[in-house]
Amino acid sequence: MTRLRGLGLGGITGNPQAFVASLAVMALLLAVPALRNGYVELTFRNILMFAAMSYGWNLLGGYTGYVSFGNVVFFGIGAYCSAVLSAHHVDSLWADVPLALACCALFAIVAGVPILRLRGHYFGIATLGIALAVADLANNLDALGGSGGLALKQLPQDQFSVYYYAMWSVALACMLGTFAIARSKLGYALVAIRENEDAAQVLGVWPTRYKVAAYALGAMMTGAAGAVYAPANGFIDPSIAFAVDDNVFPIVMSILGGMGTASGPFIGALLLAGLNEVLQSQFVKIHSLFFGAIIVLVVLFLPRGIMYLIGLRGGLRRYLHDRAAYRV
Amino acid sequence: MFTTIRLLLVAAATLSLVGGTTALPAAADDTIVFGSAVSLTGSLAKEGKLTQEGYDFWKDYVNAHGGIKAGKKTYKVEIKYYDDESKPADAAQLAERLIDQDHVNFILGPYGSGTAFTVAQMVERKKIPMVEGNGAAEKIFNQGFRYTFAVLSPARRYLEGVLDLALHQKPRPQTLAISAASDAFSLEVQAGAADYAQAHGIKVVYDNKYPETATDVSSVISAIKAANPDLILNAGHLQDALLVQKGLKEQNVQAKLYGYSVGPDTPDFTAALGKDANYVFGGAQWSESVKYRADRPGFYRTAPEYAKAFEAAYHHRPDYHNAESTATCLAFEYAIQNAGTLDPEKVRDALAALDVTTFYGLLKFDSRGLNVYKPMVTNQIQNGKLVTVWPAGLAAAKPQYPTPPWAQR
Amino acid sequence: MQLFFQDLVNGILAGGILAVAALGFSLVWGILNIINLAHGTFIMLGAYLTWQLFTSAHLDPFLSVPIDFAVLFAFGYALQRGVINQVVRAPILATFLLTFGLSLLLVNLALIVWTGDTRAVSPAYSGANFTLWTVTVPWTRLATLAAALLITALMQLWLLRSKLGRAVRAMAMDVGAAQLSGVRVAHVYAVTFGLGAGLAGAAGGLLSLSYSLNPSMGEPFLIKSFVVCVLGGLGSVEGALAGGLVYGIVESFASQLDVTVLGQHLSGSGLQDVIALIVLLVVLIARPTGILGRATA
Repeated sequence: MTRLRGLGLGGITGNPQAFVASLAVMALLLAVPALRNGYVELTFRNILMFAAMSYGWNLLGGYTGYVSFGNVVFFGIGAYCSAVLSAHHVDSLWADVPLALACCALFAIVAGVPILRLRGHYFGIATLGIALAVADLANNLDALGGSGGLALKQLPQDQFSVYYYAMWSVALACMLGTFAIARSKLGYALVAIRENEDAAQVLGVWPTRYKVAAYALGAMMTGAAGAVYAPANGFIDPSIAFAVDDNVFPIVMSILGGMGTASGPFIGALLLAGLNEVLQSQFVKIHSLFFGAIIVLVVLFLPRGIMYLIGLRGGLRRYLHDRAAYRV
Repeated sequence: MFTTIRLLLVAAATLSLVGGTTALPAAADDTIVFGSAVSLTGSLAKEGKLTQEGYDFWKDYVNAHGGIKAGKKTYKVEIKYYDDESKPADAAQLAERLIDQDHVNFILGPYGSGTAFTVAQMVERKKIPMVEGNGAAEKIFNQGFRYTFAVLSPARRYLEGVLDLALHQKPRPQTLAISAASDAFSLEVQAGAADYAQAHGIKVVYDNKYPETATDVSSVISAIKAANPDLILNAGHLQDALLVQKGLKEQNVQAKLYGYSVGPDTPDFTAALGKDANYVFGGAQWSESVKYRADRPGFYRTAPEYAKAFEAAYHHRPDYHNAESTATCLAFEYAIQNAGTLDPEKVRDALAALDVTTFYGLLKFDSRGLNVYKPMVTNQIQNGKLVTVWPAGLAAAKPQYPTPPWAQR
Repeated sequence: MQLFFQDLVNGILAGGILAVAALGFSLVWGILNIINLAHGTFIMLGAYLTWQLFTSAHLDPFLSVPIDFAVLFAFGYALQRGVINQVVRAPILATFLLTFGLSLLLVNLALIVWTGDTRAVSPAYSGANFTLWTVTVPWTRLATLAAALLITALMQLWLLRSKLGRAVRAMAMDVGAAQLSGVRVAHVYAVTFGLGAGLAGAAGGLLSLSYSLNPSMGEPFLIKSFVVCVLGGLGSVEGALAGGLVYGIVESFASQLDVTVLGQHLSGSGLQDVIALIVLLVVLIARPTGILGRATA
């Protein structure tokens, strides 16, 4: 434990052991394509995608305290970047991802400056509003295929694992990126803003530029995931690109794994996407019902995430005491 | 130290859960397994259920009558279902699961054009044939896919029958208003109808769209009223069909003909609107009163026979979703019999060459995999009952035209 | 010109209904600072309750509205007292997600109970209309507007005059002071949330006459409630009414938009949601307290 702390892990990046374990699991996941099972590869690719999206949300939501309820807009922008490039016969991930990064960062900066002035609920609603508006706009623009969507050219079956490795790379970049950001000046500024924005400002931390930076970086993470998803899926339409699920799951995953940490989003994605998988195959008819129940249970009983539960000293009494602070 | 161990255990547990989830034992050697991802929950749950009923009805019949003969062997039939929750991305994932984990032989299509597209792309990669009966958007078939076939008439033709009927009436209608919901299928229906109308000398005076989830279409109705058309058509789904028909009455919009792409054929439409549903036309893939007689024995040969047996099994009259789903299975049955084997490539070729009449109509596919050979029928609600009124050769009654004004009903 | 007046009337009629639909949402948000993402689901439940009573007991929809209110009130009270009160003091994310999860649960339960079939409530008099100077006014919508106004008036009266109403308003101003004055906070919280649910249920009952029912029908109303609240200002009856009417009229006129920009055909009716959300964003940025709102403490 102390050895890990000596390496610089822990503190603002969260539980150090969790982070090391996450990296270990990521290494294991490299072996998935070797199983030669398209469905299993698809499932883990989705887990990695959700991990990236959770990291994207976590940067602004977990570290800065600004809850975005519309991060899916960046996923959609990234996906459409790939789709539009494919429609113009450019089918390379090396083009898709950078374009997505640029578009998402730009969009985040332009939208972020006005709406990051809003506090609390209002910010969340503004982000939701933006996501819904962009989705609706995509439905109406012929250049984006309208509601019919756009098809993308896919790699042939024997090269299909390229998409898996690409998503794995994106997820790893998000994990290491969050780690690096957290331990940098930006990271400490974000936490300062989260704890007390006014005090931070008084002490010389100008909130706007740091908030916008966090928003843009998170946007890029989510956008990269979307850019890889689109050709892997082969088809994008507004309902897929801006799905409500993609909006909410990253939030729940970050909470479950532990908000404001460098390993939380990954753990949450692993657990929740894995659970989703089991439910979908075993409880065919009431799968959605279960998911609603799980969200409710997580919020009620694990608002600080599962890491809190694992690291808790003091047992049941401590747990109940902590919960009482939220109650009225 | 303990925490690390706990964590690794959690991670390992999750990974094994996910990785090893239901690796089903391979199906018995004498069974053909079909896989299908249908919408059992979500916004398309109703249509998904109808699709499932259509598939199961066929499966029960086949299994009770000895199974399917392919070459020298006779096989029983099994269908494995997953719920795609009306989400296209899930459908493709589940279909891939059906192929890779559950080792199904063939795929039966989902409900909905968006879902059908994603699954079609996936089966193309895996080279497993898929037949579907519930996704009519032509976009699916303009991609050059070889492994996907659709038994239903394409979207653009949905309202052609209604227009044909109108063109044969006196006096000839001059103007058309057609509204559409903003989904791919409805927009194709709208475009097809508008093009057909213009090609036959009818002026299109209104052709806007509204959001799929619109709760209020009053402004659409008032714009249609202001355009004063002879014919009013709508391309959408049951929900907006109800809204539009109600709205037309509420704002007292008179026209010679009201027609919907989806709606009148579902009993819910008549149940919800009562008298106000009369005189309404609908384009349908099939109706109980069509006069087809199947080429081959071994299944119900006429529509009324099918309807009677279906009602006995499921306690409601079949609508065209049921019928087209059953037809999907029949296409596979005949293709497997023709091919004499379960080999995916040979069955695919047999499907491409298929040419057989069934209770549902002609099953034949063009080079894209679309069934352009089967005409749409046009139904009308007369005195609370749905009757086929067009084309004349398949009709059971004459159309009631023009529609009397609201006040005189 | 006829189209202009017809759209205006349509807008007012639609706006009145929206106001009632948004009122409960506004109260819960303004007073409890809870954004209830299950609000649309409550509307849906009220609509289905009306439908069930209409179909099974042939009860006229207007008569079932008080029943919708009562049942949803009880449900909302129990929900707040039992579940949501557990996380009321947690960061807002908790209530956001909790209500979202509840919404998911309720929609799926409704799907199991009533199936995905689209339903409609069509009493014998539905569709009846009268014409006033070339503008056609449907009777049911007019009656619905009247009912909506009645409900808002009653709500306002209750908030101003009754003891419990004043306790609710006291809590909106300062929870600590209210508690010191003897207000039982947990109970009043639950009453307020129950009111929000009850109003949603009543709105659902009224809406069932004009719109068709299915388990996901609530979501568009949730989004519109957001816009109405932000437009009109939170926590006040006048605000919901003003916001609803303004929004209804704007939407009605915007739907007639029909332009072609850079070769892209844009129709207002297709862009309904975009227009709503642009209005929302503009108001949020320019005047977050809304038309009639007061600056919050």
